[in-house]
Amino acid sequence: MTTHSWRAPARKTALWSTLAALGVLAVTSAIVWTWRNDLPDPLATHWGGRSSVPDDFMSLDLLLFSTALMVVLFCGLFGAIAWFWGATAATRRMVAASTVWTGGLGGALLLLTAGSQRGLQDAHQATVRGWAVTAAIVVPLVPAIAAALLVPGDPHEPAGGPVAADAPRLGLTGDERAVWIRRADGGPGLVVGGIAVVVTTLLAVLLRQWALLVVPVLLVVLFTTMFAFTVRVDATGLTVRSLVGWPGTHVPADEVQRASVTEVNAVRQFGGWGWRLGRGGRVGVVLRSGTGLLVERSGGRSLVVTVDDAVTGAALLNTLADRTRN
Amino acid sequence: MLWRIDPAGDEPLYAQLAAQAHIAAARNELRPGDRLPAARELADSLDLNVHTVLKAYQQLRDEGLIELRRGRGAVVTARAATDMSPVQKALVALVDAARSANISTETLTVLLKEAMSR
Repeated sequence: MTTHSWRAPARKTALWSTLAALGVLAVTSAIVWTWRNDLPDPLATHWGGRSSVPDDFMSLDLLLFSTALMVVLFCGLFGAIAWFWGATAATRRMVAASTVWTGGLGGALLLLTAGSQRGLQDAHQATVRGWAVTAAIVVPLVPAIAAALLVPGDPHEPAGGPVAADAPRLGLTGDERAVWIRRADGGPGLVVGGIAVVVTTLLAVLLRQWALLVVPVLLVVLFTTMFAFTVRVDATGLTVRSLVGWPGTHVPADEVQRASVTEVNAVRQFGGWGWRLGRGGRVGVVLRSGTGLLVERSGGRSLVVTVDDAVTGAALLNTLADRTRN
Repeated sequence: MLWRIDPAGDEPLYAQLAAQAHIAAARNELRPGDRLPAARELADSLDLNVHTVLKAYQQLRDEGLIELRRGRGAVVTARAATDMSPVQKALVALVDAARSANISTETLTVLLKEAMSR
C-alpha cells in the first residue's frame, strides 16, 4: 500500500482531538472526585422516562469508570476513522469535532449527574432537569466546532500524470468554454430524516421533556443541509455544495486523475444517505442509489456524487482537467 | 445541463446561451419548474460578463421558455414542455433536402432566417 501525504495530518488530528477529549474528561473527573464527600453513595445515574424519579444507581467509582470507558471507546472509533480513512480535510474535521464533542458530553454528564446530587443524603431524592441534559448535548458543540475549524484544509496537490486516457471526454474545440450544472436532491434519505424528526419530537412530547425538543431541531438543521446539493463542473474543477451553502467541497481540475460513472449502492457502500464516508476514505454525497459521478483525485482521494446524467459531467471534467496538464 | 459557448463562433455569446437552453428543453433535459443557474454563477463559470447571461435569460423570457421571478431566479415555464417532435422531424427532412440539393449550412441558415421573418 502506498503511503499518502494525508496520513501524517490524519494521525495528528486523531491524536490531538483524543488528547483534548481525554483532558476534558480528566479535569471533570477530578472535579467530581473532590465532591466525593458531599455525594450520596450510591449515586443516581438514570432517570426513568416520564417520571423524574431515578431508577438506576451506581457508585462514584463505577460512574467515573463507565463514563471514561464510553469516551475512550468513541475516541478510539473516531480516531480509527481518521487514521485509516482521513484522506480529506472534511473527514478530519468531522473526526476532530466528534471526538471533542464526545469528551465534552462525557464531562458534562459527569458534572450534571454528580453536581445535582451534592449535599443529598439519599440519591432517591435526586432530580434532573431537561434543560440540563439539553445543555450537556449542546454546549460541547461549541468546542467541537472550534476543533473542526482548527483542522487545516487540504493542501493543493496537483496530480502528477495525465488524466486517465480511457475515461470519457467531451468534444470541445480549443476556444470553447463549458459548464455543467445539475442539482442532486430527493431520495429516501428525506423520508428517513422525516421519520427521525417525528419520532424524536413525539418522544419529547410524550415524556414532557420540552428541552429535548432541541434534538429534532438539530436534526432538521442537519437534514436541510444534507438533502439538496448543486453539482458544478467548470474550468476550475468540480464543486459540490449544499443548497444552503454548507457543507461543500471543491476538487480543483488539476487534481483530477479520472472522472467516471459508477454504480452506487447507498446502504452497502456508504451505510446510508447524505454526506457519507465510505471504504478507503471515499467521500460520498449520496442521495439515492444508482448511477453517480466518481472523481478520483491526487493523494489517493476520491469522491462520489449521486447525480443524474453523470456521464456528461464526467466527460466535461476529464476534458477540462486535460487542459490543466499542458 | 451542459452549457457551452464558443467565443470564436459567429453567433453572439448570449444567443449561443439561449440556443443551449432551447436544445436542452427540446431534449427534455429542462422540464417545466426547473431552475436555471443563477446568472452570476453561470457567468463566473463561463468567464462571461453577467450582463451577457442576463441578456440571454431576457431573450428566453421573451420567447416564453422561462419566467424571471425576483428571489426565485429563472424558472422554466410550462410552455417549455411544448412537443418539439414535429419541428425535429421537419428539421431532419429539411437537412436531408438541403444536402441533396447541395445547399451549404450558411445558405440554409439564411433561407431559414428569411422564412422565419416572413
